[in-house]
Amino acid sequence: MNMYWHELRANLRSLILWSVGIVSLIAAGMAKYAGFVSAGDSINALFAAMPPAIQAIAGSNRLDLSKASGFYGVCFLYIAVMATIHASMLGANSLAKEERDKTSEFLYTKPVSRTQVITSKLLAALTNIVILNLITWGSSLLLVGYFGQGEDVSRYIRTLMAGLFCIQLLYLSFGSVSAAFARKPAAAAGIATAIMMGTFLLSMLIDINSDLDVLKYLTPFKCYDAKLLLPPNGIEPVYLLLSAGLVVVSIVAAYLLYQRKDLAV
Amino acid sequence: MPVVEVKHLKKYYGKSRGIEDVDFNIEAGEIFGFIGPNGAGKSTTIRTMLALIHPTAGSANIFGKDCQRYAPEIAREVGYLPSEVFYYDTMRAGDLLRYSASFYKKDCSRRIRELSDTLDLDLSKKIDDLSFGNRKKVGIIQGLLHEPSLIILDEPSIGLDPLMQQRFFSLLLQENQRGATILFSSHILSEVQKICGRVAIIKEGRIIHEEKMSTFRESSYKKVAVESATPLDPAYFQLEGITSLETNGRSASFIYRGSVNVLMQRLAALNLSNVSIGEPDLEEVFLHYYQ
Repeated sequence: MNMYWHELRANLRSLILWSVGIVSLIAAGMAKYAGFVSAGDSINALFAAMPPAIQAIAGSNRLDLSKASGFYGVCFLYIAVMATIHASMLGANSLAKEERDKTSEFLYTKPVSRTQVITSKLLAALTNIVILNLITWGSSLLLVGYFGQGEDVSRYIRTLMAGLFCIQLLYLSFGSVSAAFARKPAAAAGIATAIMMGTFLLSMLIDINSDLDVLKYLTPFKCYDAKLLLPPNGIEPVYLLLSAGLVVVSIVAAYLLYQRKDLAV
Repeated sequence: MPVVEVKHLKKYYGKSRGIEDVDFNIEAGEIFGFIGPNGAGKSTTIRTMLALIHPTAGSANIFGKDCQRYAPEIAREVGYLPSEVFYYDTMRAGDLLRYSASFYKKDCSRRIRELSDTLDLDLSKKIDDLSFGNRKKVGIIQGLLHEPSLIILDEPSIGLDPLMQQRFFSLLLQENQRGATILFSSHILSEVQKICGRVAIIKEGRIIHEEKMSTFRESSYKKVAVESATPLDPAYFQLEGITSLETNGRSASFIYRGSVNVLMQRLAALNLSNVSIGEPDLEEVFLHYYQ
């Protein structure tokens, strides 16, 4: 437990900053929506004038932007991007930072196994993403409720937050396995970010070019895409299974690789 | 049963050598010096013993247990001071030491106080604000606070001023009297000479010599300097036991190990104008191992 609390304390500052960032993003997004609505502008018309690629990425061809839920759905993409960067970095750095900051000679010569160290770190990281998810959820409900026109969005937000949590878990585990895989500790965050950017770009390409639709299983951004999760749609079970499998494989690989790793000092 | 048994330990980092074949034992209660130049493999050996890295071949046992398999169990009774100390910069020295103590199932708070008093360390300061020497003190306390029965020190005194070095050494001797076994790695011979009972010399990844300190001290080595009335021939000094020979016209100096009688007979045949025979310091004895 001592390592768990130590990790939580070490991550607290970054968690607060990320939370502030996400809440600001939602607030700014929904305030803009309120602005559009009160000005009587037709947001749908505005987006319709944009190039099709941008419409596809924003999802404005599927979401009704004149409604709070539709506008929030567009914002969700950016919320998801922030949450994945947070989760990737958290997963990678939680494990790699001891080597990067050369504290591995302190921690790994204590009477604890590497498995115990990794478990504490991953549990602390999990706690962090759960807190960030709950803060996102709470602030979304409040802000969409406040700026929305009385539309009931709680079910849609609940579905999106479940999706967000799956994405966070996935990138957290990708981050951890990157740290275990990286020869040099400084490379861990780089690999994790590359995975994140790669999958994000792929999801955009799929949006633009529908021929690439078969590739959707390769990117979580597509599996948990806000424009496909509008009620009555929910998360597709096949994506949940796929995600669960990937998370388990990544975490198990991280444990195994770390067990055999020569720690850099 | 030896406290430490290192058996043909070998470690390669990819293609580059860490250590080639390291083999030594440390008995309970010993202060064992581990000396060699930089890059000889001292830290690699220690890091393998601590299971930070995995050996390419060979093994090491600590307290009779394999150091890799039983690392967490062994670590309960091991205190380690790395050559460069790095800690969580934003923590206060006291918090770091309490964190360190939380890994051991005993109350170490009194000991932290005592040690920090002895070494004159301000526990309320942030690690980030500490000088190099003060960080080293944190490292020393961190290594000793749980009263380990094996203390592993890698270049421990670098960064400490002479007064602190002295206090640190007397701390180590106290620990040793309490029953702790100590592995003291260093490239500074004089400090090894001060404290160790036995030494092993490591060079290019192999132990090349192992001896009791007392044997070194028992004047088996002589530092000899002669001056002659006539020019000296270096070939004349090709005698078994002579090392580090330097001849310069009419004077010669060397380190000799062996029978004094044999040496005297050889010297007696020379037309000497001056002779001095004295105790070499370790530095001189070891120098030829280093080269």
